[in-house]
Amino acid sequence: MRFFNNLSTRTKLILGFGLLWLILAIVIVIADLVIIDVTNSEKELNKVHLHSVLMTEKLRFVMDQQRVSILQLLLTEDKAKQDSLIKGIKGRAGLSSILVDSLRLLNSESDFLLKLSKIDSIRDNYRKTREIQIGLVEKGEIKQARDLGLGIQELRFDTISKIISDLSKDTQKAMDDQVARDKEESQDSRYLFIIMAAVGLLGGILLVMLMNIAIVVPLNKLSILAEKISGRNDLNADIPVQNRKDEIGRLGKAFKQMLENLRGSTTDISQLEETVNHRTHELSSILKEVKDTVNVLAATSSEILAASTQVATGAVQTAASITETSTTVEEVRQAAQLSSQKAAEVSENAHHVVQISQDGQKAVDETVHGMDHIRQQMELIAQAIIKLSEQSQSIGGIIASVSDVADQSNLLAVNAAIEAAKAGEQGKGFAVVAQEIKSLAEQSKKATNQVRTILFDVQKATSAAVMAAEQGNKAVEAGVKQSIQAGEAINILAVSTQEAANVATQIVASSKQQLIGMDQIGVAIRTINQAGGENAASMKQVKQSAQDLNELGLKLKALVANSKF
Amino acid sequence: MKKEHKILLQDRAKKLSMEPGVSDSGREFMDVITFSLSTETYAIESVFVREVYPLKTYTLLPGTPDFILGIINVRGQILSVTNLKKFFHLPEAGIGELNKVIIVSNGLMEFGILADVVHGTRRIAKNIIQQAPPTISGVGADYLLGVTSGSIIVLNIQAILEDKSIIVDIEVN
Repeated sequence: MRFFNNLSTRTKLILGFGLLWLILAIVIVIADLVIIDVTNSEKELNKVHLHSVLMTEKLRFVMDQQRVSILQLLLTEDKAKQDSLIKGIKGRAGLSSILVDSLRLLNSESDFLLKLSKIDSIRDNYRKTREIQIGLVEKGEIKQARDLGLGIQELRFDTISKIISDLSKDTQKAMDDQVARDKEESQDSRYLFIIMAAVGLLGGILLVMLMNIAIVVPLNKLSILAEKISGRNDLNADIPVQNRKDEIGRLGKAFKQMLENLRGSTTDISQLEETVNHRTHELSSILKEVKDTVNVLAATSSEILAASTQVATGAVQTAASITETSTTVEEVRQAAQLSSQKAAEVSENAHHVVQISQDGQKAVDETVHGMDHIRQQMELIAQAIIKLSEQSQSIGGIIASVSDVADQSNLLAVNAAIEAAKAGEQGKGFAVVAQEIKSLAEQSKKATNQVRTILFDVQKATSAAVMAAEQGNKAVEAGVKQSIQAGEAINILAVSTQEAANVATQIVASSKQQLIGMDQIGVAIRTINQAGGENAASMKQVKQSAQDLNELGLKLKALVANSKF
Repeated sequence: MKKEHKILLQDRAKKLSMEPGVSDSGREFMDVITFSLSTETYAIESVFVREVYPLKTYTLLPGTPDFILGIINVRGQILSVTNLKKFFHLPEAGIGELNKVIIVSNGLMEFGILADVVHGTRRIAKNIIQQAPPTISGVGADYLLGVTSGSIIVLNIQAILEDKSIIVDIEVN
């Protein structure tokens, strides 16, 4: 019980319910086993014994049928009927042996097998004799066959039927036994289940009781105690000490500790009175200290009086120096105004310079543009000159061909003259014409020569012009480059003058601010001057107050001296 | 204007239109073609000249003497061209144009003579042609008629045409 109490509540619960679950699991497993067992038994019953009974009955039926057929055969005289009967007997001959073999496979009990082999041996003899009987019937010796059939064959048949009925009985008995066994087994398992259920129920009740004792009862006790303490302030209630290590034990211990603490706090009040007495003593000693302090205060107030007198003289001196400062500030202010004016002028100039430099930049841009235009024009001129030179070349070609023509006309003239000479006196006029043509040809030749000379000069001149155009182009390019450089320089100049203008503007602004500051300083100084005057006045008041304080100190001293503590 | 004045003026004009300094009376004249070859001026009697032709292309003939320049095609007629300088064994001095051919003919023989410039026809009085001394140049006296006062060398073109040495008949083995 003590060990159980020491376990935590969770463990207790787990243990209790675990036990119940274990019992339930055991019951389930046993039930399952029993059911499987019974099912198997039923299966065997159904398969082995029932089939065995059916087979034996079938065997008996087959044997009976054979026997009946033989007997009919022995009784009849009709040949056709005999034949059909013989045929039937032969057809059924294999059936009984198949049935015996099946039985042998079905039931493997030794007793059963022994009886089966007995049946086999008798059946062998019976069959052989039957063959003989059939042979006799076929021969027509029915009398002899009848003797055989009613004699030894009947005996054999009876024996077989007896054994078969034995077999049947045995099997039925085995079946009954099995059923009884099953019944007994199921009865047993029923008892077992009842016992198990009873045990489980009992265990559950026990568990509930145990939990009640272990958890609920001590908790109830503690809650009643807590009501007592909270409701009636009954601090004398006793708490039973339980030497337990679980949550309830811990709760009890904590509760007990709490109660003890509550009891302890009531004892503190009595100590308070004692403390009050002690404090009163302390107060009297403090008053003594106050006396000393007042003495010190009196001394200090007289010191303050002296100091305030000194401060008053200092204030007068300060006022004088402030007046001097005020004059100086006025001078500085004037200087600042002058510098502000100058800075404004500088700023204006700088703005002017910026304007000029911007104009300059514009002019340079225009120059660059103009240069570019000139360059284009120069290029056009160069192209024109080149074209001109090409054309003069073609003129040269034309001149050459004209010269050639002149040559040829000269030759023609000569030929005409020759013809004229051949004609003699009649050709004289023609000779003159030929002479004229010749002189014309020569003139044209001369003219072409002159043209050629002139053309040569023109060509020279054009090539010189081409060169000049080329040089002009180069010069223009250089000019463009230089004007771009000039533009850049002016740009830089513009930027720096802009910066200078900005700086000048800033200077103007700051000098204005300086001026304002100076004005403000002047105002401030005046205020200080006034304040100095006021200061001196108030110093006087301070002096008066110090005197009052001094007197007060003396009075206090007297008062403290009179007090009794 | 009086009639006699008019006749007088016409007379004067007729006289002025005549060639000055030379008169036809009692003199024999010959019509010549003058041409220059290098620095010298030659003259050929114009009756032997068929025509003047500009030399544009010519074809060299192998196996001919060096005075034969080649052959040319004049309106379908093939003619040989003779370089007189080579023929006369004159030195090759100066650069000429050598682009004219004077085609000479006596009815039987016909060939071209190379010339720089063909000046034209003129009439020379036969009596002013002086016999050139044989030492003046290497030209055989047979081929020269003489030299005029204007230092024109008058060739005896008839002799040249009839000269056998100008006929080239060489068989190459």
